[in-house]
Amino acid sequence: MLTEELVDLSRLQFAVTALYHFLFVPLTLGLAFILVIMELTYVITNRPVYKDMVRFWGKLFGINFALGVTTGITMEFQFGTNWAYYSHYVGDIFGAPLAIEGLMAFFLESTFIGLFFFGWDRLNKWQHFMVTVLMAVGSNLSALWILIANGWMQNPVGAEFSYVTMRMEMTDFWQIVFNPVAQAKFVHTVSAGYVTASLFVLGISSWYLLKGRDLEFARRSFRIAAGFGFASALSVIVLGDESGYTVGESQQTKMAAIEAMWETEPAPAGFTVFALPNEAEMRNDYALHIPYVLGLIGTRTLTKEMPGIKEIKTRNRERIESGIQAVTALEALRKDHGDQAALARFEQHKADLGFGLLLKKYIVDVSQATPEMIQQAVDDTIPRVAPLFWSFRIMVALGFLFLLLFSLALFYSVKGTFIEKRWLLHWALWFIPMPWIAAELGWIVAEYGRQPWTIYGVLPTHLSVSNLTPANIYGSLAGFIGFYTVLLVVELYLMTKYARQGPSSLGTGKYHGETAGGALPAGAPAQKI
Amino acid sequence: MWYFAWILGVTMAVLLASISAMMCDARECAPDASREDGTSR
Amino acid sequence: MDYETLKLIWWLLVGILLVGFAIMDGHDMGMGILLPFVGRNDLERRAIINTVAPHWDGNQVWFITAGGAIFAAWPLVYATAFSGFYWAMMATLWALFFRPVGFDYRSKIKHPAWRSTWDWGLFIGGAVPPVIFGVAFGNLLLGVPFHFNDYLMSTYTGSFWGLLNPFALLAGVVSLGMITTQGANYLMMRTEGDIYRRVRTASLIFAALTVASFALAGYWVATGIDGYMIVSAIDPNALPDPLAKTVEVAPGAWMHNYAVYAWAKWVPIAAFAALAASILFSRLHKAGAAFWSSSLACAGIIGTAGVSLFPFIMPSSSDPRSSLTVYDAVSSHLTLGLMLGATAIFMPLIVLYTSWAYKVMWGKVTTEYIAANDKSVY
Ligand code: HDD
Ligand code: HEM
Ligand code: HEM
Repeated sequence: MLTEELVDLSRLQFAVTALYHFLFVPLTLGLAFILVIMELTYVITNRPVYKDMVRFWGKLFGINFALGVTTGITMEFQFGTNWAYYSHYVGDIFGAPLAIEGLMAFFLESTFIGLFFFGWDRLNKWQHFMVTVLMAVGSNLSALWILIANGWMQNPVGAEFSYVTMRMEMTDFWQIVFNPVAQAKFVHTVSAGYVTASLFVLGISSWYLLKGRDLEFARRSFRIAAGFGFASALSVIVLGDESGYTVGESQQTKMAAIEAMWETEPAPAGFTVFALPNEAEMRNDYALHIPYVLGLIGTRTLTKEMPGIKEIKTRNRERIESGIQAVTALEALRKDHGDQAALARFEQHKADLGFGLLLKKYIVDVSQATPEMIQQAVDDTIPRVAPLFWSFRIMVALGFLFLLLFSLALFYSVKGTFIEKRWLLHWALWFIPMPWIAAELGWIVAEYGRQPWTIYGVLPTHLSVSNLTPANIYGSLAGFIGFYTVLLVVELYLMTKYARQGPSSLGTGKYHGETAGGALPAGAPAQKI
Repeated sequence: MWYFAWILGVTMAVLLASISAMMCDARECAPDASREDGTSR
Repeated sequence: MDYETLKLIWWLLVGILLVGFAIMDGHDMGMGILLPFVGRNDLERRAIINTVAPHWDGNQVWFITAGGAIFAAWPLVYATAFSGFYWAMMATLWALFFRPVGFDYRSKIKHPAWRSTWDWGLFIGGAVPPVIFGVAFGNLLLGVPFHFNDYLMSTYTGSFWGLLNPFALLAGVVSLGMITTQGANYLMMRTEGDIYRRVRTASLIFAALTVASFALAGYWVATGIDGYMIVSAIDPNALPDPLAKTVEVAPGAWMHNYAVYAWAKWVPIAAFAALAASILFSRLHKAGAAFWSSSLACAGIIGTAGVSLFPFIMPSSSDPRSSLTVYDAVSSHLTLGLMLGATAIFMPLIVLYTSWAYKVMWGKVTTEYIAANDKSVY
């Protein structure tokens, strides 16, 4: 039995494990390229300080990477363990990018990361640089394929339902790869990773500068982070706007919810900066509007209308009613593949099959659905407004703050005076956690906003789960939370330990707190402060 | 074509940041180097 | 390429990926199993760990990719097996958690309790997955209680403890023995002195254990276990529909393929021969040859399970017609073709750069080397 409890627990477990995986992913994505920058500068200038930078930030990269891998394996298997019907229903499409991700990206990154750490003495510097580049490209390709998969869930193109195999089947691979949603998502997400890593390096370097230690090392790190971070912050915003546009095109429900837009407004709609959404009465208790802006973001025209929640509900009711026809015709076809009347009816209503399936939450035989059930299903099609509304606004606000921070950092580093701007250094230090917050909120907007669907308009969430008992999920969820808490504590401990030690952790004998000149004797304590 | 924009964008951002670091070598980081210990020369 | 050929190729390819996993990830899992026993002090253990330090993650991707490939090529198997074996999958997953962290964090703190915790973590991460996979294969041969409804939604009606029956546990021993031998033979190539002597002993013991348990399991399958057979006509080119066939349970049915196909018997014969060769070469101190022999043994053993089951992948004991086979658990024609193309492009590249990575890092890892590179090795 697929009970509501089971579905909610499965969702909770997915949300916990996915959000947790994404604590480590952005830093991997971005730091890999920052290492490329540092090593490029090293091979050009031949200054050892750049090599030390690659090795030191590489250490932090490695600590983070280990947990990225650990938590990624969970993600890979969770579709089978907890989303079995989903895996059957869309595996024909969804499995392909996942498998390609393994073949094309994980192998690449994972093989070269070994050479990155252990190959310094065995490769010449250009070879080692190439290894670093391939590692960075590999990690970003893994983001590419997983986001193609995820983009397809948001905007399921290039696929069609087959009643014989009872699942979605791929019709056009390239349409899936070049899905506009996937494209915008990919560039937005990797840029978010670059911002995260830049701010990480910027903040820790600022701390060294504030302490007045390892100046030579920290200054250069700061400048690299400022340059890369500025470009990335810009890109996050531009592509965030593009993401908003693709949402406006393909998921009007999500758009309306993000904007708490209850009524269809005359084009071009205004952007609501601040509001107190009131779900019960379907209106905003208070709202502050900027005219035109939303219409521009969502439709890129001044004339196209954007539907409000009330209007979307009216349309969805029609689709659910048509979906009932599709579901009953499908069930007749499953009993008898040769039933021509059912086939004709099915073909006619096929596009609304997913909407008919929404009713399965309330009744097995959907042809018997009462008007109340239909009303409930209609209400289900709109995700809860307040979490989306606020998550989105906090993410966007942080995005603009990052741009400001990096602009100032870049400006003062070009002027060469950043070391005196102690307020800037403090700001960078205290802002280190913010990109993580923005990124997690971004996912909540994207995924929570897709509810009640796993595959938008095609497969409802409540049908996607594995047929398990809630007790199973309570058990596994407790296990995940236990393991993940311990792992996070260990990771943060090591991360701060090595960040505090700074480049002296390399044992070159050149850095803060080390006896000047000469390397430490072999076997010296590893954690010399 | 956002994929294409990404390829260009990353390359440019990498170069920009690297140049910014090399400017540091050419200008104000130079005093640091001699002041600290000179090993990076 | 027609649909039938693609379906058969994917049976072969999934097999190849599983064998690749056993050979590559197998040798570092085997390393983990042996670590607490053949490394007697911290330096020795570090030397052992550092034989796989640059490679363990790449190796682990064989496992991840095999999972991804099953998802893409056999979505119904991925869905049914992973949700049915829920707790076994969770145990595998949680055991695997110890590996990345064990490798990466172990030597970052110099406290004996810390280090020995992660050594045992690497042991768990090395020992649990092979045992579970062995047990899972054992249960495939016995049949698994699951069925589909009209929507092809699967329900598993067994329990976790039901998976731990004597035959399946024996299969777990085969798998554990095979992986440990693989790890020992790998370590023979990369270590010297005391460690070398200890792993050589381990290689001999575990190869012998594998031979014995594999022979016993084979005898058991031939005489004590009912196999499955499709009795309705098969249209190998049909659209996949697992409910469209009739399946019967028959004693000795898992021996059927050996009777029909003359070449089939060479698969188990190769497994035995390769294990014998592994023992021989270990005795002769030919570590490289021993490693390739045990690699071939992995192929032979996994191949034997596959050939016996063919065309079944996951037979259902409670509702035999719901059984999943290479013909009706597969993806669409387009997806299979596409994934074949992707594999044909990327697999050779992977083999190429993986070999290069091993070549760059090749050589004996000694305790002196570890002491001299305290800060840059694991
Ligand atoms: C550092 C992180 C970060 C920052 C500063 C921003 N975002 Fe973002 N955003 C993400 C990190 C992120 C993300 C984690 O990468 C998400 C989650 C899912 C996805 O595709 O990207 C995301 C999703 C996401 C979505 C939902 C896409 C969907 O539903 O498919 C939109 C509309 C935006 N973002 C828009 C913006 C705008 C207009 C921003 C800025 C001014 C912005 N984001 C800043
Ligand atoms: C390609 C990558 C991803 C896929 C295929 C994916 C798929 C899914 C699926 C199947 C669910 C469960 C059904 C549902 O509740 O909608 C879900 C929920 C969720 N995912 Fe994603 N996800 C992906 C990545 C992520 C990442 C990286 C995060 C966060 C860091 C994330 C955040 C969430 C959240 C917060 C939910 C819970 C929303 C809710 O149902 O209440 N997702 N996603
Ligand atoms: C539900 C979806 C996801 C699955 C199934 C998944 C799977 C995995 C797996 C198996 C690993 C470990 C690879 C290894 O051993 O090297 C991993 C690591 C990683 N994942 Fe995820 N992941 C998901 C979501 C995401 C998302 C949304 C992103 C990025 C936007 C991402 C980016 C990465 C990166 C950069 C790594 C670093 C390690 C590497 O590439 O080897 N993942 N993921």
